[in-house]
Amino acid sequence: MAALSEEVLLVVKRVRQRKQDGTLYLMTERIAWGPEGKDRFTVSHLYADIRCQKISPDGKAKIQLQLVLHTGESTTFHFANESTALKDRDAAKDLLQQLLPKFKKKANKELEEKNRMLQEDPVLFQLYKDLVVSQVISAEEFWASRLKLNSVDHALSNNNKQEVGISAAFLADIRPQTDGCNGLKYNLTSDIIESIFRTYPAVKQKYAENVPHNLTEKEFWTRFFQSHYFHRDRINTGQQDIFSECAKQDEKVSHLSCVKNPMVDLMSLEDKTLDEGYGSLTALPNSSKTVKENSNSAIIKRFNHHSAMVLAAGLRKVEASSDQASETSSTDGNSRDSDFFQPPIKKVKLQEAIEYEDLQNESGPKTIALNLKKSDRYSHGPVPLQSHHYSTSQDIINSVSCIQEEISCYKPCLTRVMSSSAASSAITALSPGGVLMQAGAQQTISQLVSTDVQSELKHLYTAAGELLRHFWSCFPVNTPFLEEKVVKMQSNLERFQSTKLHPFQEKIQREYLSTNLTNHVEEMIQAAYNKFHAWQTRRMLRKT
Amino acid sequence: MASEDEISLLVIVVDVNPIWWGQHAQREPEFTLSKCLDAVMVMANSHLVMTRSNKLAIIASHCQESHFLYPSKHWKAGDVTGDDASSGSGDGKYELLSVANDLIAEEIRNLMARTQVKGHQTDTLLAGSLAKALCYIHRISKELDAGQDMKSRILVVKAAEDCALQYMNFMNVIFAAQKQNVLIDACVLDSDSGLLQQACDITGGLYLRIPQKTALVQYLLWVFLPDADQRSQLVLPPPVHVDYRAACFCHRNLIEIGYVCSVCLSIFCNFSPICTTCETAFKIPLPQMMKPKKKKLKAAN
Repeated sequence: MAALSEEVLLVVKRVRQRKQDGTLYLMTERIAWGPEGKDRFTVSHLYADIRCQKISPDGKAKIQLQLVLHTGESTTFHFANESTALKDRDAAKDLLQQLLPKFKKKANKELEEKNRMLQEDPVLFQLYKDLVVSQVISAEEFWASRLKLNSVDHALSNNNKQEVGISAAFLADIRPQTDGCNGLKYNLTSDIIESIFRTYPAVKQKYAENVPHNLTEKEFWTRFFQSHYFHRDRINTGQQDIFSECAKQDEKVSHLSCVKNPMVDLMSLEDKTLDEGYGSLTALPNSSKTVKENSNSAIIKRFNHHSAMVLAAGLRKVEASSDQASETSSTDGNSRDSDFFQPPIKKVKLQEAIEYEDLQNESGPKTIALNLKKSDRYSHGPVPLQSHHYSTSQDIINSVSCIQEEISCYKPCLTRVMSSSAASSAITALSPGGVLMQAGAQQTISQLVSTDVQSELKHLYTAAGELLRHFWSCFPVNTPFLEEKVVKMQSNLERFQSTKLHPFQEKIQREYLSTNLTNHVEEMIQAAYNKFHAWQTRRMLRKT
Repeated sequence: MASEDEISLLVIVVDVNPIWWGQHAQREPEFTLSKCLDAVMVMANSHLVMTRSNKLAIIASHCQESHFLYPSKHWKAGDVTGDDASSGSGDGKYELLSVANDLIAEEIRNLMARTQVKGHQTDTLLAGSLAKALCYIHRISKELDAGQDMKSRILVVKAAEDCALQYMNFMNVIFAAQKQNVLIDACVLDSDSGLLQQACDITGGLYLRIPQKTALVQYLLWVFLPDADQRSQLVLPPPVHVDYRAACFCHRNLIEIGYVCSVCLSIFCNFSPICTTCETAFKIPLPQMMKPKKKKLKAAN
């Protein structure tokens, strides 16, 4: 039996599957079930194949555990032991809960990675289609070099992914439902629980202290919702409430500690328009408030506190280690306002207000001046030194006087500028095919060849480039692995040439007469063949 | 609507180097400077006639100065009646054209009359003429009414050879033209000019070296008269392959692979331990001598 070689983590007897009694075995890499009395397993699933597990609700008579696989099938196990069925089922469920996540990541990750890479990069996808789908090289070779590169990149980028923040309305989302008579039912999911823990670390502390020693999870949450800590008016906090301490703790942390800039005085802001006196009458802030104002201020205080906690929770994850330091420093800075312990931000602000950078003395880096001896060299253009046509001064005088004579009696005669024969020969030269138009014909090869032929050529180049890269990276051949790889790449190249290159060549030969599009690819492959033959002959010589 | 026409400004820079033309007149008497000027005049008239809103300027590029043949400072558009008595061309030509032609002829006569022979100034001041053309284009574009568009191009009719001393100025002009979206076209009569090839390539204009000088006007009208927009619809001579290789500082050879000093960026064809321009010393590390590996003798069994 295969089970003997694997380590068995849990054995549950009296488990029925498909109306048959048997035993359930949970091993390190798979879960298996064998019928009673038989030696072999009829049902065996790797944890990597299992997508999720489901359990039957508490009230049902049958205690069942269902495994849903990635393929969609599901297997149901019925725990039939009268006394310990529930305990067995829960033990199995817990173990699976721990094991499944480990395997899930490993198996899917690679496949997901590959799919993601293929989807993100259309060039890679095309290359994959050209090489692997048409069986020029196998899929393993294709992925061998790529996966390593990308997993490193991905790991780096993973660390920089942003954390998902908490919605400020998570408490409101719980939405109690009335349960018939005077009872309220709250639906708590693990997401909401996590949000509560992240926002109110005091509650998390209480949870850690009390569950599972004093209270069960259910009782804890019931107390939480009952406590006035959660409710609007925190006025009656006298009862035996584990959350009364949390309330006291919250009040200690003042809102003003969130504002790190000690130069900003929030208390001096007033919500007043210019009343009588246009601001000249300075009325002292009225400290006595009405009862209504008091209760309003309590709610507003709670809202502010809640929002501050939500924001702080978002920042808390990022500054995990420095978090403690910054919190203590900010609270300390407010309580002990001594010069010795000035928060650094205040210093920076004061500094900025006092000094102007422009008015300081310039203290830039010392530079060395460029010392050019023959700077006239730069002004000479890329005109090669030619032997100038040397004119004697007599020549110059003659030419100038000749021109002066000619122009002094210049009268434009625009009706006889050109003879018709000269004009027609000029037109011939300028017409397509003429003397001056020759260069044009060679430049239109990209217009001669259609775009799909061009794109096919590009794909050929990419595929050939990939194969040649693998081939040339094997040299110098030091290890037997590289030897095998070289031989394999050689055969791959030959296969590529016969399956892809030659049909393409024939196709364009049929359609276009004199274009040589694949010369260069042929040359590259030929160079690879030559190298291979040279290496092979050298190897033969060495062996003999 | 007349005000919504796009204005097209053509600036023709004609190379009237008297030394070159004088020598050329002795070699080939059938194509003289007069004929060249006639051809340019026909081209200018055609441009003015194409659209009412076309503008024109002609600059003569001499070895002593660059002079505007058209429009002249001394001439104002409203002065037609004053000139009518003297230049009564009775052929019923569009007055603008006849006035312009007369003006051009007069200016070139004056220009040549005041030429003074100086031995060391034998090169055409082409870079300066192009700079003047760009300035003129810039000035006209500032004088436009609000909402009017102007497209401008420069046509260079070149006769003499390139002057290597003007290289820096030339390149500056070319890049300024590129920034201003001004095309530079070149019609070369005699020897190929690398600088103009670069200018046409960089600004997007056309470079043409004509085989037959007597048919100059035909080439000008066929190739250089259409606008930049219209050129895409026409079959015109293809662009020339431009040689962009740099020249080494020591021999002035055009090289493809060379050595560049990292301090002063001067180019050399051979390695030398001291850069001759900035006198920086360079060390190249010699390849280390590898100890020959002692081959282990396998004990033959």
